[in-house]
Amino acid sequence: MPSVIYAPAYRRYSFGDEHPFSPVRTDMVLDLLGALGHRVDTVEPEPATREDLLDVHQNAYVCRVEKLSAGALVPDGQEYGLGTQDTPSFPGMDEAARWLVGGTLHGARLISEGRETRVLQLGGGLHHARRSVASGFCIYNDLAIAINFLTRNGLKVAYLDIDVHHCDGVQEILNEDPRVLTVSLHESGKYLFPGTGEIRELGAGAGRGLKLNLPLEPFTEGASYLEVLEQVIPAALRHFRPDVLVVQAGADAHFDDPLSDLMLTTRDYEAIFRRILAWADDFTASRVLFTLGGGYSFRAAPRVWAILYLVLHDLHVARDLPESWRSKWSHTSENELPQTFHDPNPSHADIPNRYEIAHRNRQVAERLLDLARQYWFQK
Amino acid sequence: MLIRDIMRSPAIAISAETTLQDAYRTMRERGIRHLPVVEGEKLVGVVTDRDLRLATSALVPSPFSPDSRVSAVMSSAPLTADASDPVEDAARTMRELKIGCLPVLDDGRLIGIVTGLDLLDALMRLTGVHKPSGRLEVRLPDHPGELARLTSFVSHRDLNIHSILTYPEGPDSVRTVLRIGSIETGLLAEDLRRAGFDVLWPPEKPCPR
Ligand SMILES: [Zn+2]
Repeated sequence: MPSVIYAPAYRRYSFGDEHPFSPVRTDMVLDLLGALGHRVDTVEPEPATREDLLDVHQNAYVCRVEKLSAGALVPDGQEYGLGTQDTPSFPGMDEAARWLVGGTLHGARLISEGRETRVLQLGGGLHHARRSVASGFCIYNDLAIAINFLTRNGLKVAYLDIDVHHCDGVQEILNEDPRVLTVSLHESGKYLFPGTGEIRELGAGAGRGLKLNLPLEPFTEGASYLEVLEQVIPAALRHFRPDVLVVQAGADAHFDDPLSDLMLTTRDYEAIFRRILAWADDFTASRVLFTLGGGYSFRAAPRVWAILYLVLHDLHVARDLPESWRSKWSHTSENELPQTFHDPNPSHADIPNRYEIAHRNRQVAERLLDLARQYWFQK
Repeated sequence: MLIRDIMRSPAIAISAETTLQDAYRTMRERGIRHLPVVEGEKLVGVVTDRDLRLATSALVPSPFSPDSRVSAVMSSAPLTADASDPVEDAARTMRELKIGCLPVLDDGRLIGIVTGLDLLDALMRLTGVHKPSGRLEVRLPDHPGELARLTSFVSHRDLNIHSILTYPEGPDSVRTVLRIGSIETGLLAEDLRRAGFDVLWPPEKPCPR
């Protein structure tokens, strides 16, 4: 049985009712699974300690988060990305963020101690947090902290990021680490925050060739997404031979997401999750740690993550969404919540230049592999 | 942004007596392609890796030997910049004369150097591309108050503008490129369109949600 990590304290990671990074999304996932008759047994982690944070974050930064968290004024907070429109400060933010880090870290611990293979952390995935800058709703980088924990325990980590945004924080922190392969699929930085994630980035020093970025065209659909995923991931995993997969499963590449422009459907997500689990079986003796991430459509993200849970547990995805669940959460969305678990087919209007988009993505994937292979086969 | 903000200082320089061979080694070791040539503190020339390669090439009728002095192959009386020049002036000089560097002088003394790569660094800083941000491109009518209308629209949303560049486009319009320090740049673009702004980037969605 996979382990699912969650604590009610995760709800405290909230920037206010109007803010897109809302804990309500996880409530909706748990409630949906419950309404479908699944008993979700969760493991409660401990919050991460200050020491855990200092593994990747600078003391000066953590101090400022702590001060803001306690309600003190921090005049230079903006320089650290704190108290901005994206990442406002709030009372208790330090502890709230440490809970999320603690959850991801707990997942890493379960895997490194051999107590579990499949783990789902129902939170975290704060991939934009830098060493000393908060960014894009992310305060502490739970992913980098958990990955470092795994590598310190002798495991080689392949990190896969399917959030629609580039994982700039994770990449910055692990850029020179030869024990960590990172692969990020995202809408191209030409069009979308944070602006990075070009194929030429590739990592530095001993990590050169191991930080892979696949920037995708806006309006990329599932078929093209799955095609490039298949082009790049098995090749990279065969080369790198990881011991464990860490997956940031952001749901914001869904076509209904308000902040970005990829066009994945829930069926695409189901296919992606199944492929990832198959790769974990093939390459890492099934060891895989999933976190959540971005995903700002209340109509889409809860369904995507419920599907992740179901696929992970080899459970069936029901056809309809329970009426009780739909009415309970109808206030979260201007438009009606969908009636079915999966998006209808067709789910959206035709993309006029879809073949051109798929063609460009294919070429980017080929160029990325050409560039990376120069480093893979150097020694 | 001034030359002093982007120049490399102190500049690695060589004397006019240096051999071509030694000059080339200095370039290789330091990973540079331009060397100011000095006599004492006085700048007398600039030598580039291209000068060295051309001077010693087997393709020229009478190539220089590796032991020749750089004074024989350098460009003498090179163009220079002042630390207080705006970077765009240096860019214009270098572009118009197709030269790859400008030594920076203070009171006739060499204090630094600016190369084409430093100007690219300056471009990256000017466009704010170093900071996590989203890019926005807006066409504005070329008359007073338009830019203010745009920036106040952004500031009303409490969003931080990392950089803003404006350049003339046609007779009646300017194009403004902004980098916004927010993950919600796409929403901002949609709001700007609704408010009547001509947003060129990011492109509009082909199908409404
Ligand atoms: Zn995201």
